[in-house]
Amino acid sequence: MDITMREYLKVANGNIFYICGVVIALIVFLQALLFIRLSFKEGKKHGLSKQQMIKAVRTGATVSFIPAVSILISLIAMAPVLGIPFPWLRLSIIGSAPYELLAAGIGAKAMGVDNLGSEGFTREVFANSIWIMTLGSFWAVSIVVFFLKKYQKGYSKFTSDPGWKNILINAAFLGVFSVFIADPVTTGGLPLITLLAGAIFMTIFAILITRLKIKWLKEFALTFSMILAMVVAAVFSNLIL
Amino acid sequence: MRNKEYSYDNSVHKMGRITLSLGFLASLLPPLMLWFIYRIFPPLDSLLKGIFNISFFMLPVSIVEVLTFAPILGAGAMYMSYLTGNVSNMKIPSAAIAMEAADVKSSTKEGEIVANLAIAGSIIATEIVLVIGVFLLLPLSDQLNNPLIRPAFEQILPALFGSIGAYYILKEWKLAVIPLTLAILLSIFVGSKYISVIIPVCVIASMFSARVLYKKKIVKPMDK
Repeated sequence: MDITMREYLKVANGNIFYICGVVIALIVFLQALLFIRLSFKEGKKHGLSKQQMIKAVRTGATVSFIPAVSILISLIAMAPVLGIPFPWLRLSIIGSAPYELLAAGIGAKAMGVDNLGSEGFTREVFANSIWIMTLGSFWAVSIVVFFLKKYQKGYSKFTSDPGWKNILINAAFLGVFSVFIADPVTTGGLPLITLLAGAIFMTIFAILITRLKIKWLKEFALTFSMILAMVVAAVFSNLIL
Repeated sequence: MRNKEYSYDNSVHKMGRITLSLGFLASLLPPLMLWFIYRIFPPLDSLLKGIFNISFFMLPVSIVEVLTFAPILGAGAMYMSYLTGNVSNMKIPSAAIAMEAADVKSSTKEGEIVANLAIAGSIIATEIVLVIGVFLLLPLSDQLNNPLIRPAFEQILPALFGSIGAYYILKEWKLAVIPLTLAILLSIFVGSKYISVIIPVCVIASMFSARVLYKKKIVKPMDK
């Protein structure tokens, strides 16, 4: 069996991208620290005590620990197909794991490749995935940069139906997800087995969460069921071979 | 006093705009490095196709999300949330729990400040977890290419979308009927070559069917 690493992965794990990751992480830290300083100054004026404010930082940190571990697990799951530094730097900023994988999938699909990291996933396909992951977040960032200030000065005008807004977002995502669900359904084989396994595990988790009230599982349900589905894929592909 | 508050708001927007733009520019570094150092650049038509597809749904989604989150989170919290992502699953819960613990209301200045601090704390904690994780993962990077497990990772997209699909179907299956049927039909009869047509068509059909179902009160607002 061929053990050679896919060619693009040598590039993807290049040192330069770890350096990019460090630069991005530093900007993230810098922003958080600047806002902590500004908020401490302003908080004092409004009668918040130092202890209260430190407690707020600590609460935010502790509440986020478990979801952060879940992000880390999805990073580990992405590493074999996208290398280590890219998932790290992408998950440090802007997107969540599902968004990044979706964007990577769109980049690959635009070049006619359905599976990330598969035979046809060349350096160019990899580059296209990375460009789409990066540029896809352009809209969200520019809307906040250019329009947030204006919007917050008079948002009472926009208090339209929040229930509908929520459904609209979900519907837009569902439209794209459907395209990626349709693929394995029509090609069949290992992708279809994996898709069905993911659906079954998610259903089991949903039952555990609602029936047995295992609340902490909620954070991990998507990550766990994705990984268990990949385990099923590994078992099946090795059995068929 | 009024004047001072105004100046706080101004510094929040200034600081937020600069740091968020800087973060986005830094995120362009990796693909630019691929281009300039490794000379790897995708064919232009594939790149444009991809940009069109992702923009087709990310643009409306981003507009609606900003409209939804901005009244919940203050300005500072918004700039931080949009630099680091994971807004509804991490940032909003962190802010809400910290405000409750500090016994302040969300619509007040105190609430806004507590939310800022909680989100900053959340960001620092997350980044530390990721950095430690990447550090521990480094020695394993060769193992991750083991031919026994590699086929599994190549199935990461079906694994993710099977799970996500089940999540939506369990939550509100009626919303999934039209886009899913349409996507499967298009995949059979049109083929994934025409991805730039398929994604927009499915997104529009999905939003349209959601509108009809919502108007007729067949689907109710979801909690997330």
